[in-house]
Amino acid sequence: MSSLFHEQTARQRIASIVDSFTEFLPPPERVMSPYLPQLDIPVSFDDGLVIGRAKIGGKPVYLAAQVGQFVGGSVGEVHGAKLTGILKAAARDGIPCVLIVESGGVRLHEGSSGEIAISEAMRAVFECRAKRVPTIAVIGSDIGAYGGMGILTTCCDFRIMTEHGRLGISGPIVIEKWMGKKAYDSSNRALVWKTSGGKTKFLFGDADVLAEDDAASVSAAISKLLAKSSPLTLKSIKARQQELEKRLKAFGKTSDPDVIWKAHGLASIAEASLANAKEFAALAKKK
Amino acid sequence: MKTVLEKFFGASAKGIVIKDKLMTGYAEVGGQKVCVFGTCDGTYIDNAAALRLAAHVIDCIENHRKTPIVMLVDSAGQEPNRTAEMLGLASYFGHLLSCLQLARQNGHKLITIATGKAIGGAFICYGMFGDRIDALDSASVGLMPIEAMSAVTKIPAPVLEKLSKTMPSLEFGAKPFALLGGVEEVWKISDDYAAKLATAIASSSTDDNRAALGKMRGGRKMALDVRDRVLAETAK
Repeated sequence: MSSLFHEQTARQRIASIVDSFTEFLPPPERVMSPYLPQLDIPVSFDDGLVIGRAKIGGKPVYLAAQVGQFVGGSVGEVHGAKLTGILKAAARDGIPCVLIVESGGVRLHEGSSGEIAISEAMRAVFECRAKRVPTIAVIGSDIGAYGGMGILTTCCDFRIMTEHGRLGISGPIVIEKWMGKKAYDSSNRALVWKTSGGKTKFLFGDADVLAEDDAASVSAAISKLLAKSSPLTLKSIKARQQELEKRLKAFGKTSDPDVIWKAHGLASIAEASLANAKEFAALAKKK
Repeated sequence: MKTVLEKFFGASAKGIVIKDKLMTGYAEVGGQKVCVFGTCDGTYIDNAAALRLAAHVIDCIENHRKTPIVMLVDSAGQEPNRTAEMLGLASYFGHLLSCLQLARQNGHKLITIATGKAIGGAFICYGMFGDRIDALDSASVGLMPIEAMSAVTKIPAPVLEKLSKTMPSLEFGAKPFALLGGVEEVWKISDDYAAKLATAIASSSTDDNRAALGKMRGGRKMALDVRDRVLAETAK
């Protein structure tokens, strides 16, 4: 088994970060999409989402991990209902919920049902937050968290990213189609990662933790956040409003991510690009 | 847009300012003060727009305690843009949703009316977060029209067209969306919008009933049962 988090499958990731795990609605129960067979698309026996109860660092959590290999980890009716269910269970039982996100967003083949499903999952995330039950999103693969799932992760208390993770709404190919290859070349990996990748998101604080690309680092980061929550208060949303206004004012006129890196104290872009998570965090602090 | 606003709010619509296709203000419904914000002319929502709407929600929470918030939706979504993505458009939308959640927690009712385009991300980033969501029957509600879905999924449009007759999820519009439970009620052009809105405010609930509605109306048969099964198994 690969020890690189971004190369692992959903079940391998779970196995490598937990002490113990019990799956709900596992593949033998065949809880699957009712839409895909009608479109002659193969189904998956878990509809691309693994949910269960686990212990991480000795503490109980509810956990959901998306299977990026199955229709891009996309959210259909059943996938979304499983996600909403586990989040609602977390809110009910006062047990933190960890989401290992790997999804392009709504499963287009299921149309508006997937869209409503993501909206329902968002309501469930906020049901947890209203009760101060921590919700933690982990984004550590190339597929990343896009579309409605990108928005959903920004609704969670905390986000852990690795440098391989990407967070956004429109993916690189969509941006290229819209703006033209000259304005945004989706095959330019360095540009794509600097635009939406974990390192840039960490500089802005949209990723709370930049973890290394290995299970031990991700697991340790989750453990540290399990006892915390980030409650919504008038003070907290006003501070966030100011921060986002400041960000837009400072960088809204540029499309060059290097400008952002330099403004955050990274003198050498080459050095920062090669740095691991720990080194990167140290470089960014040296300002 | 002004005439539509008058249908909702009568003379009090003058309290709503339209600037750059965004609406913000305060008006009255049945003698009761409401906070109003939204989009018009199918505009795109970008980082700056999300912040302007969020600022209005914050003002309402801070200065107009428990005032119901009416969200009007006519937006085609977000424009794919590298600067917007680099700055974290998702976070800007997440912030708008967080402001609305705080409003809900502080006792503000959240009412959504889809008046025009309510497509994909534009609907997810505020309108779909309402306690109660209604739509005008002329509104374009849904993930995307069938031609667009066909282009992305590579499934021929006639195939999707045919399937949509039995799968409202693939169909585009306010009525199929209501069959899925995503819209509570579809309003006709001949309806009294002000009276309808007053009823919507009075009957809204903070419980998310969309999965139950979708099952009852037959458009989304599995969502409620799968969710309940997870809740039952985790309770064992």
